[in-house]
Amino acid sequence: MKSNMNLHLIQFKALILKEYREAFRDKRALMVALMMAFLAPVVIMMMSKIMIENIVDEPAVYIKFNGAAYAPKLITRFADNNILDFSDVPKDKKAIWEQRNIVIDIPENYATDMAEGKPIKLHLQADFSDKAVQTPVRRIGNIVSRFSNSIGYKRLLLRGIDTRLLNPVKLIKQDTAKPDATFMLISMMLGIYLMMAAFMSGLSVAIDSSAGERERNVLEMLLCQPVSTLKIVIAKLISASTISIIGVVLILVLTSLSVGFVDLTKIGATFSLDLSTIAVLLLLLIPICFFASACQLFVAFQTKSFKEAQSTVGLLIGIPALIPVVVSMMDDRPVWLNWLPIAGQSMIIENIFKGVDINWLAVFATSAVTITITVALVLALAKKLKSEKVVMALS
Amino acid sequence: MIEVNNLHKSFFIKGNKGGKKDKHNNVKALDGLSFTAKDGEITGILGPNGAGKTTCLRTLYGLLSADEGFATIDGISVTENPLEARAKLGIFPDKFGLYERLTAYEQIDYFASLHGMSGQTKKNAIEQVIEDLELGELAHRKTVGFSQGQRMKVTLAQSLVHQPQNFVLDEPTRGLDVMSTRVLRNHLAKFKAKGHCILFSSHVMQEVAALCDRVIIVANGKLAAQGTPQELCDLAGETLLEEAFVKLIGSDEGVAA
Repeated sequence: MKSNMNLHLIQFKALILKEYREAFRDKRALMVALMMAFLAPVVIMMMSKIMIENIVDEPAVYIKFNGAAYAPKLITRFADNNILDFSDVPKDKKAIWEQRNIVIDIPENYATDMAEGKPIKLHLQADFSDKAVQTPVRRIGNIVSRFSNSIGYKRLLLRGIDTRLLNPVKLIKQDTAKPDATFMLISMMLGIYLMMAAFMSGLSVAIDSSAGERERNVLEMLLCQPVSTLKIVIAKLISASTISIIGVVLILVLTSLSVGFVDLTKIGATFSLDLSTIAVLLLLLIPICFFASACQLFVAFQTKSFKEAQSTVGLLIGIPALIPVVVSMMDDRPVWLNWLPIAGQSMIIENIFKGVDINWLAVFATSAVTITITVALVLALAKKLKSEKVVMALS
Repeated sequence: MIEVNNLHKSFFIKGNKGGKKDKHNNVKALDGLSFTAKDGEITGILGPNGAGKTTCLRTLYGLLSADEGFATIDGISVTENPLEARAKLGIFPDKFGLYERLTAYEQIDYFASLHGMSGQTKKNAIEQVIEDLELGELAHRKTVGFSQGQRMKVTLAQSLVHQPQNFVLDEPTRGLDVMSTRVLRNHLAKFKAKGHCILFSSHVMQEVAALCDRVIIVANGKLAAQGTPQELCDLAGETLLEEAFVKLIGSDEGVAA
């Protein structure tokens, strides 16, 4: 019995050692695999920079004023809020604002109507469906209504009326969202990114060690050896998921480092990836890494050629890319969705980034389901490798 | 000892007639093949292309399961106990590849470990097989870029390193130069003297004539004839094994008629 155990250990060690050697020696494939990890901090930094710029600074907006001369005070108010005349647009941005083409018409009788207290109509023209136009339009609207209110209040005050009469009901907003929630978009992206990385990083190793080995005629040799197919599959799974775990860990570490360079306090976010968050994320993502590699191996072994494997297995990336988006759009999520791989994890990760307390039961339930499916895939694959069909595909 | 008894195996070819299963879509690869390869003997399998040699050998490895009949290795059934049976086999397959990112030594080491060898025993066995097959210079190079002959040698080394009781070699000399062929022959002869059972398929008649104690001729998935090379020549009334082979096969396939 003891010697039997020994044999299993020796075989298993040799299988894993060999898979690791092959995976880590293919430097180019490894670099491609981990590219996502290295890109992550760059992407996230750029995204946050752009978002912060949009939210915090009021970037200059250039508008075509018709009749600016009739309302100098209004134009000054616009200019104070960084809404400028189109004639001042710098050359490099001219094309952009020409294309956005926001026009405000100020009527000729502005000054006289103002003096007489008649309502004045300003006309704002723009393509409101253009997303880039929406923010400037909102800002213009706010400025005009504030400008209008301030004049109105002054008129009432002059007539001896308390301006509070104008606001019989006042809504006082108290934001109960934790500060982190303001950073939702980036955090949700990071969640999807992490799960995609779990799928992407191990991809090349999974294909290479399955369909690739079959194409290079080494699989037949291996299947002729006195080793159970289960051991072979587990060794390949461990090797592929190791790479994918490395990818995920790299992303987490690099992101937590790079987020420090972006000043998030400007938008009131206190987004941080501290050690405990990273630990929880890893606890969630490691089962996904195994699940992803198991799926990829399972599909790659079914295909007829390396090329087919590459294209078919590539489709699997759709799972982590689409499921979280679909889940987050669903309003009434059925409970069982919480337990499915990817869907469950994506919801938990979303909550972690929102700052909501972690539902540990959900964490363990979804991890358990993910691991169960992974085990089932491994067992099915081990059985498949014993069948003649796989052998027939060899020749 | 390798024993093959009344093996039947047919393959279903898809797509011929709208995918329907009928007799035309079935290729009968083995049709009641039986033979025995004894310990201390070199047994050669001869047969034209498509005669069922590789199918027969794959059944021996347990990669394919026979529709009927059985194969045993040292009395162990390959279908019932494939892992134990394979442990007694050294296999040089029909198609082989190398792990191109490993060195020759690492590959041999890998297969030795798969057969449960470890520690100093494994080390000695690897050194021995590398010396025997004159692989010393190549041992610590990655196998990418190896010539056909060098690849064959590495594959041979990895199938022989655990000194199996039974060797099965599917055309082991294709692509080998004269020197390497001699090395291989001497190697096989040495193992034969030690009482191992060697079964190999080949298309080179001189080699079979020079090396084999017994020859099995397979045609259409059946045993066409068997005996020592001399017996086969006598049977066909020819002096050269090649002529005898063609005659023995041809009588079945109508080539000689």
